[in-house]
Formats: sequence, C-alpha cells, structure tokens
Amino acid sequence: MILSPYFYSQAIKLALSQIWANRKRSLLTALGIIVGVASTTSVIAALSGLKTSVLTEFESFGANRIYLFPNRPDDKPRNLYPREKIRIKPWEVLELQTSCPSLRAITPVTEFGVSIASEGRELDGITVVGIWPDWHEAENRRVIDGRIFNRIDESGERQVCLLNQSAIDELRLPANAVGSHILVDGRRFLVVGIVETLQSRMFGGDSNTAEIFIPFSVAIKLQSTDYFIRVVALAKSADVSEEAKAEIQRTMRRIRGIQPGDPDTFRAEAIDRYIDQFKSLASGITAIAAGIVGISLLVGGIGIMNIMLVSVSERTREIGLRKAVGATPAAIMMQFLLEAMVLCLAGGLVGVIIGKLFAVGLTMIPGARLEHADVPLWAVFLSFAFSAAVGLGFGFFPALKASRLDPIEALRHE
Amino acid sequence: MIRVRQLQKVYRVGEEEIHALRGVDLHIGKNEMVAVMGASGSGKSTLMNIIGCLDKPTDGSYELDGQRVAQMSEASLALVRNEKIGFVFQSFELLARQTALENVELPLIYSREAGLTSRERERRALRALDRVRLSDRVTHRPNQLSGGQKQRVAIARAILNQPAILMADEPTGNLDSVTTNEVMEIFRQLHAEGQTVLIVTHENEVAAYCQRVIRLRDGLVLSDLPIAQDQAGQVIA
Ligand SMILES: Nc1ncnc2c1ncn2[C@@H]1O[C@H](COP(=O)(O)OP(=O)(O)O)[C@@H](O)[C@H]1O
Ligand SMILES: [Mg+2]
Repeated sequence: MILSPYFYSQAIKLALSQIWANRKRSLLTALGIIVGVASTTSVIAALSGLKTSVLTEFESFGANRIYLFPNRPDDKPRNLYPREKIRIKPWEVLELQTSCPSLRAITPVTEFGVSIASEGRELDGITVVGIWPDWHEAENRRVIDGRIFNRIDESGERQVCLLNQSAIDELRLPANAVGSHILVDGRRFLVVGIVETLQSRMFGGDSNTAEIFIPFSVAIKLQSTDYFIRVVALAKSADVSEEAKAEIQRTMRRIRGIQPGDPDTFRAEAIDRYIDQFKSLASGITAIAAGIVGISLLVGGIGIMNIMLVSVSERTREIGLRKAVGATPAAIMMQFLLEAMVLCLAGGLVGVIIGKLFAVGLTMIPGARLEHADVPLWAVFLSFAFSAAVGLGFGFFPALKASRLDPIEALRHE
Repeated sequence: MIRVRQLQKVYRVGEEEIHALRGVDLHIGKNEMVAVMGASGSGKSTLMNIIGCLDKPTDGSYELDGQRVAQMSEASLALVRNEKIGFVFQSFELLARQTALENVELPLIYSREAGLTSRERERRALRALDRVRLSDRVTHRPNQLSGGQKQRVAIARAILNQPAILMADEPTGNLDSVTTNEVMEIFRQLHAEGQTVLIVTHENEVAAYCQRVIRLRDGLVLSDLPIAQDQAGQVIA
C-alpha cells in the first residue's frame, strides 16, 4: 500500500490545522516536550559555552606543557624508595634538556620559604622560587620591565631577583622597582626585572600573591641539602606533547637505571590530562541533561498519547467517513502518527527556540564565563529526533486504535 | 453490475444472534435507479453497507462490476470503496472545517492514481460540483450551506471518482419536502446521465423518482417490482 504525496501533504496540513484549531489544548499537551527540550538545550548551551571558554583558557595556559614530579611508587615500602632516591637532582634536569629533542623549553623549579626585607618592610614566610631563564617560556610569563636572568646569573650564582607587582606593593618598593635592592634571608639581592601577573583564572588563580624569583643555582645553595625540585617543560607543539612526555619518561628511567618491570620513581604529566578530565566531566553533565530530557519527554509523551486518544474519539465520525471514501487502515494509521509527530515536533521547535533565547540570555550574564553559550547543531537535531520519536512511540497506540475502527460503527458514533 | 446471492448477515450480541439478512438474492443492472424500502429493522442498512463494501456478509456471494468482493481484505475493500462506490449518508458527513471543494476532493487523497496535479484534482472536483449545480458554492463551508446544499456536496463527493454505483441510505431523512425534491432532482439527473443509483428510503415520494422498488421484510426480499406495479400494490394493500 503506497500512499501518495498528496496524501502526505494533506495529512500534514490537516495535522497543522488540528493543532491550530485546538491551540490551547495543543500548547498544554506539548508543554512537557517544550519544557524538556527547552531545559535540556539550555543546559547543553551553558555547558558547551563553559567548555569553549575553559578549553580556550587551557590552550592559552599551554596545552603542550608537561610537568615532572618526584614520586614514590604506590604500595612500595618507604625504605626501598627513600626521599633521596626519588628526589629530582639538578644534573638530571640538565640531562633531560639534552636528551629530549621534542622539548622547546625546560626548567627546574624549587620553592622555599624565607623572610624578605626591603627598606620599608620585613615579610616572613614568603615563598621564593628558583628558576632557569627557560621558565618564562615554559610558563608563558614574560618580564614587563627590566630583563630575565641570563647564563651568568645562573652559573655565577649572582644574587639577582625578579618580582611581580604584588611583591613590589607588599615590600613598598618604588613603582619603578628595577635597580632596587631587597634582602632575601639576610642577603642583598638586586631587582633586575618585573614578571607579568599570572593570567590564568583557573589554576593558582590568586594573582595577588607576592612572587619572588631567583636563579635556580642560588636557590639550591640557599636551601643547603634538603631541597625539592619539580620540572616544567614545554613541548615544541601540542601535537608532540605526548612524545615529549614519553622522551622525559624514557630519559628518567635510563638515568635512574630503573630496570624494566620496576615502577617509575617520578611522575610526568601533560596538561592534556586535565583537559581530558574536564571533557569527561562535561560529557558526564551532558549525559545527565540528556537523561533529564528523556524523563521529561516521557512525561510529555504520555500527555501526547492521552490527547491523541481524545482526538481519535472526537473524530470517530470523520475516521468512519474517510474509511468510507477509501482510506485504508494504513492511511488512517499514518495520518494519526503524523499528527502526533507534528504536534511533538512543533513542541520541540518551540523548546529549541526557548533554549536558543535562553542561551542568548546566558551570554549576557557578566562574569559567568558563558559568552560562548549556544545550542549546538547536534543538540537541535537530537531534540527534533527525540520529539519525533516520542510522537511516533506515544502516537502509535492511538493511531492503531483509529486504524482499527469499524467504518459503520464509527459513522454511527454519537 | 451488482449480483447478490443468498446473502446472510448475522450479528452476535452476547448470546443472542440477530439475523439481519436471511438470504437475499438481488441483481441490479447498469444504469438502473432502484429504491430499497421496508420497515425499520428490516435490514435495509445492513444490505446497503454490504453492497457498499463497508461491511462483509456472514454468508453468500457478492459480485460488483465483475469482481467477487465478499471475502476481500480490508485494504482491498478500501480500494473498491474508493474507486467503485459512491456513498451518500443521511447526515451528510461533511468535514466542518473544509470548504465544499475540499470536501469533494477528499476521496482523491486515498486514490491509487499517483501524480495527479492539483489542477487536475480541482478540475474534477469542480466538475462534480457543477453536476450537482453548486458551482457557486465552491468555497463555502458546511455551516454556510443549507441542508439540501450540504447533501448535494456529499453527492458531488460520492460521484467524484465516477463510481460504478451511487448509493444513498435515507439521503432525504434529514430534509424537508422542498429540499428533498431538490436533492432527488440531482439523483434523477445523474441517472439520466448514465449513473447507476441505489437509494434506501421510507418515503413513497422518494421512491417515485426510481424505476424499481425492492421491499425487504425481516431480512428477506418481500417484493421486487417496477415502480408502477409497486405503487399500485401499495394502494391496494
Ligand atoms: N451492529 C449491529 N449489531 C447488532 N445488531 C444490529 C447491528 N446493526 C443492525 N443490527 C440489527 O439488524 C437488523 C437490521 O438492521 P438495519 O439493517 O439497520 O435495518 P434498517 O436499516 O432497515 O432499519 C435490526 O434488527 C438491527 O437491530
Ligand atoms: Mg437503516
């Protein structure tokens, strides 16, 4: 049984005119679908907006950055892996620098707390960070005034330092601090440059912390024998960051003489991992949102089924007449299925429009970081697909009922 | 054209069996105009519904236009109704929200003829409306039409696909005597143009438009006579 294109055009026209003729009832019926689709598309819009801004931030933060930490293997006795054995040593970092061709920059970082003093103030327990000149590139933080450290600062263990704006403020140094002197642990250090304030809002987000940087060699000397080193490296590009990480792991195992099968005594991490974690979190929330839409569409679907049953019973005579002039059961079935689907799709359309408007509203909330919020195309398609499926699923029983009506009884109805 | 043999129809209502038709034999030739009469409950509607392929007989055979239709599937019967039968009902059965033209076009929605242009559909519907003399009411909706006009729209819909037989179950039951004549004139004219017509009625005035009268009683044919003899018999009885 093939239904003609004319049948379909008339059936859809009829469906639309039915919806319009009973517009209040249709609206109430489709409310479940409208609310379901609107709320889900809004949540998806917000999430995808958040994802976009977080990912852009990750990227600017450096997707190709790799961290290396000392790490005692899990479940291994402490005496087999003493602190000294797993500690990263300066020479190991030098070895990494020469053995890892995929790296663009690498720097050891060591931090310790000391007291700092300037002419105006004395501050206790300030963290001082020892770095190589590569640190600026690895951490993507430039010097906005003065200069970075040079080889001679490092090799000659010169007492020079870099500050950030907060450190200048807290030490009450002149606005143009380059050339001033401060006391670090009682020693006189020359301020040679000002480091730009941390840009990221995500990690170490507190840009108000005072930061003081000194050459790595000096920092090691000041800490005597008990120091802690971590390494920050930058791969040549995000594409090779996995490779660079592998190079670091290989080199570390080689220089530490770790036998195959024995665990690492360090931990190398690429920033991708954080991105992956965020992505999986976001898709988890999306899945929950999809679950919510599933439930509300189910509720909406029951409303659709109810109203279609009402419609079939109201139009029993019409069904009888259509059968009398030649409508097959399949044609009647198809007509009511189309009606349920058109009703659901209309609800879905309204829902998507509300979701879109909501997304526009989200982008306007200041400071919410949702400026990229938008309903993605896949969510629009999914909404329509879901709506059509609800129409099909919940319209089936009423349509079947209509198709099975006996024409004579139907024409005798009421 | 129509040949019915030993037609039986039994309705089961709970335990009870109702024999609506008890073995009806009938032959209706091409271009006849026949009235079916009989008391209420004598089986007229049951017979009409079976001949109109809206219902199946419990037993007996039915041949329409050379086709044996008694035991066809529902989908095939729908096709027969669409192409061979025009049915007119007592209460018009027009779709309230649609214009006269749209109501008349309705059977084309379910037509086997694929690829009819909208112009061709409209042409046919307008022609049918013209034959019932309603060319000036094409865009009117049912609530803007009189009872007689509504029934003429229904007739136009019934003749749209040039059916082998035009059937009407008490088509004037809801009409007054003036509009009854208006509608019966249309049937007479269609008959004059070659249409086979079968009409159920209570009224002798309606039967008078026909050439032949079949009278039923308790599910059996009581008499089957030319109109003149039938009317004479009524006067005597
Ligand atoms: N669907 C049905 N179920 C049970 N009995 C029916 C049904 N339709 C008709 N009948 C019975 O069949 C008999 C004939 O009915 P019908 O053909 O409608 O008579 P008419 O049209 O001549 O008044 C009546 O006794 C009626 O009650
Ligand atoms: Mg009857």
